[in-house]
Amino acid sequence: MARIGVFVCQCGNNIASTVDTQKVAEEMKKIPGVVYTQDYKFMCSAVGQELLKKVVKEHRLDGIVVAACSPHMHEKTFRKACEAAGLNPYRCEIANIREQCSWVHHDKTKKTGTLKSTDLTRMTIERLKKNKPLKTINIPLKKKALVIGGGIAGIQAALDIAESGYEVILVEKEPSIGGHMAQLSETFPTMDCSQCILTPKMVELSMHEKVRLLTYSEVEKVEGYIGNFRVQIRKKAKSVIEDLCTGCGECIEKCPFKADSEFEVMKGHKRKVIYVPFPQAVPNIPVIDREHCPKFLKDKCGICAKVCGPKAIDYSQQDEIITEEVGAIVVATGYDLMPVESFGEYGYGRIKDVVSGLYFERLASASGPTGGEIRRPSDGKVPETVVFIQCVGSRDPKRGVPYCSKICCMYSAKHTMLYKHKVHHGQAYVFYMDIRSGGKRYDEFVRRAIEEEGAVYLRGRVSSVYERDGKVIVEGADTLSGTQVEIEADMVVLATAIVPRKGAKELAQRLGISYDTYGFYNESHPKLRPVETNTAGIFLAGTCQGPMDIPDSVAQGSAAASKVISLFSREDLVREPILAEVDERVCNACWDCYYACPYSAIEQHPLKGRDGSIVRWVARVNEGACQGCGVCVAACRSKAIDLKGYTDEQVYAAINALV
Amino acid sequence: MDREKKLREKARELLESKEVDLVIGYGWTRYGKRVAPVFITRPEDVDRLIWNPMCVNNLTLYITRKYPDVKAMGRPAVVVKGCDAKTVNVLIQEGQLKREDVVLLGIPCEGVVYRQELYDGEVTKENVSPKCVVCDVKNPPLYDHLIGEKVEEGSGFEGARNIYQEIEELDKKPEGERWAFWMEHFERCIRCYACRQICPLCYCERCIAEKNMPQWIDTSAHGRGNVAWNLKRAMDLAGRCVFCGECERACPVNIPLNLINQKLSMVVEESFNHRPGYESEGHPPLIVYSLEDREDFIR
Repeated sequence: MARIGVFVCQCGNNIASTVDTQKVAEEMKKIPGVVYTQDYKFMCSAVGQELLKKVVKEHRLDGIVVAACSPHMHEKTFRKACEAAGLNPYRCEIANIREQCSWVHHDKTKKTGTLKSTDLTRMTIERLKKNKPLKTINIPLKKKALVIGGGIAGIQAALDIAESGYEVILVEKEPSIGGHMAQLSETFPTMDCSQCILTPKMVELSMHEKVRLLTYSEVEKVEGYIGNFRVQIRKKAKSVIEDLCTGCGECIEKCPFKADSEFEVMKGHKRKVIYVPFPQAVPNIPVIDREHCPKFLKDKCGICAKVCGPKAIDYSQQDEIITEEVGAIVVATGYDLMPVESFGEYGYGRIKDVVSGLYFERLASASGPTGGEIRRPSDGKVPETVVFIQCVGSRDPKRGVPYCSKICCMYSAKHTMLYKHKVHHGQAYVFYMDIRSGGKRYDEFVRRAIEEEGAVYLRGRVSSVYERDGKVIVEGADTLSGTQVEIEADMVVLATAIVPRKGAKELAQRLGISYDTYGFYNESHPKLRPVETNTAGIFLAGTCQGPMDIPDSVAQGSAAASKVISLFSREDLVREPILAEVDERVCNACWDCYYACPYSAIEQHPLKGRDGSIVRWVARVNEGACQGCGVCVAACRSKAIDLKGYTDEQVYAAINALV
Repeated sequence: MDREKKLREKARELLESKEVDLVIGYGWTRYGKRVAPVFITRPEDVDRLIWNPMCVNNLTLYITRKYPDVKAMGRPAVVVKGCDAKTVNVLIQEGQLKREDVVLLGIPCEGVVYRQELYDGEVTKENVSPKCVVCDVKNPPLYDHLIGEKVEEGSGFEGARNIYQEIEELDKKPEGERWAFWMEHFERCIRCYACRQICPLCYCERCIAEKNMPQWIDTSAHGRGNVAWNLKRAMDLAGRCVFCGECERACPVNIPLNLINQKLSMVVEESFNHRPGYESEGHPPLIVYSLEDREDFIR
């Protein structure tokens, strides 16, 4: 007969206010195999843990049930205490009578709460009786990291990991690293030049001996598990041999064909067909845009190959598949801006002088298409009046997204200042819903825009934007004065919502990480595990997780890196033994589990006879890869698979205790 | 009969050349009135093989892991109708069989009877098997040797009971009535497991019905266990059942198993655009995760 001890926690008043813990403890005494029960104010306190250890030894217990909060909170605490008392930690089970009972029952007579707690604890006791002692397992660890995305968050993460001596592979989709930050003019609230602070980091990264930079590349396939990921990366054909190219730019100079520039945001701005996205690109190696190059479309031209001194142009170059083994992955894929053509009232796409915030950044940038002069797109005139409209798509649950894009209040204030610095006699108007300027020196910055730089802030929404006599007319409400306003503007700048990067969901599915309804990646815990995902070994940095500004992105890049570094600082990985196990005697080798497993943790294993010939095949679990999710258990028709720690027998015993 | 003669010739040729050790086909029972599976190992016995509309059994049953003694007899040749050949495809998909391990004697079929005792020299709309009414594989989709000429596809049993119409009509009934319909049928179940034994896709080494640690499915022939058993059996076949109709034929208490199997097949086809048995690549869809899955059941 088992010798089980039951502790019922009062959790101060959290549990005790709706559950009669003493009565629960007394009821449990009646169950065969239970030799000790007690209720206590705080089981998780040092005193409570000491009590548990003492009782285990004194009563020679072989199992413990703690009826307390969710196992997410203190399962580890109590299992450690058990281990210290000489008991196998997996002989300790938690009955959740707080989140699943006392917090959801408001009956102050304690009747329902006590009844349910009794049931939950009884179920856990029966389940515990079927528990087998389990041992943690050790698996080897590959000390090399993969960073996906070469924006500021990815750059920071890669640099931090490389600086601590571990190898890093950084994969970037575009021909250059830098991300959105490379497109910005100046940054709030200090107004330092974005490129000037970014490019040194880009260069540092590319020069770092521990970093392998793969630009113009995409992650195609991810297999494996924490410590042992196998990653397939498609290195798209640049049509330029990287080892030979000196970055002289002769090919770009002489190329006679042009296509729309992705970097300069708005249509009409052209780049060459062989190009680097911007002058400070890292690596400074051009790529040929095969979709627009006549050499690839019609087999004509070929000038770039003729002018290239080191003979680096290779039209026959093919995409290359690179396979790498890494121990951890940092996802830093960044964001896109919401396409706002569908918001008819703002006239974007219809009226030339209605532009996005990112376009305004390019206008204000010294390296931008106008060399930093603010000129409107339609006729190149310097705009005398500019209207900035905030929350375009953001905080608009009906047509856009319900969330706040977080950075627009700040960058719009910055835009008004940049504009005022460049066009002294100009007037900036801002339509806003609320000014959200939480952050170090952020509110002071906005106040400065209003009080010193003379931006007029109008609280209200814009109802329509239309053209009249070469002007852009903005009609809207000023809800503070209660009047309708009409502004004759020369240019309108829309602060469009931040949305997840195109293809974010597909990448998440490839990686096996979860995402929210919009496509932003989910952190493991919004407060306490902000850069971890629920898939062990995969971490998040930057705006792939949600709207965030540069300081936040950098902080997250460093945070994700520190997680990777602390993971790599161990000799090998210690894993929980909650793993699937195949009963090979009854396995049919139908491979349902093999196909169902999201972690590729099932292997097809031959059972051999004495003469070495294969007698039959069975499924076997790779303990390193298995995450204990239980999908295979559900898939197996003959129930030849069980999940250790959550076996069918345990579940059945728990259900039986209830019916 | 022409087909019969060709079948025997091919069987003799295969056995004499030692290409196979065994031919699994149909033959007369001792009294010469009913048809049963026969296992021919010697060339001189091939005349026992027959072919007529009473040859209903799905003989692929005998090449599954359920029959290790048949496997021990050596490399088999199996006589397959179109519907039976589809089973082979699913067995290959599920790793139970390699294509080269079996020789398939495909036999074009113009319909078999629902139950042998109903046969009176002709297959009519009254005695035809419901699978033949909606058949689209009169010519086997998979074979090594075709016995005789191909026949024209299409049913030709106008006015016979149509399983899909029956399902549609059942679907129109309110939920309570449908539940009552099935309860009435499942209550009769005597848990003889004939449906399981005859199904070539019910090949588990150890059936969950026989697992007793824990015993998920109550073994006594009582409402609760009966529902659990019948639902588990049907669910396990969803997206895999090729509609050979053997389970319903074997059922001694006439539970309309074709109805429940085909209802689930329709749901799977609608959701995953998959009809089992037409190809040997891939894996049944309820198991496989694909980015193209519609996921519209998650609401």
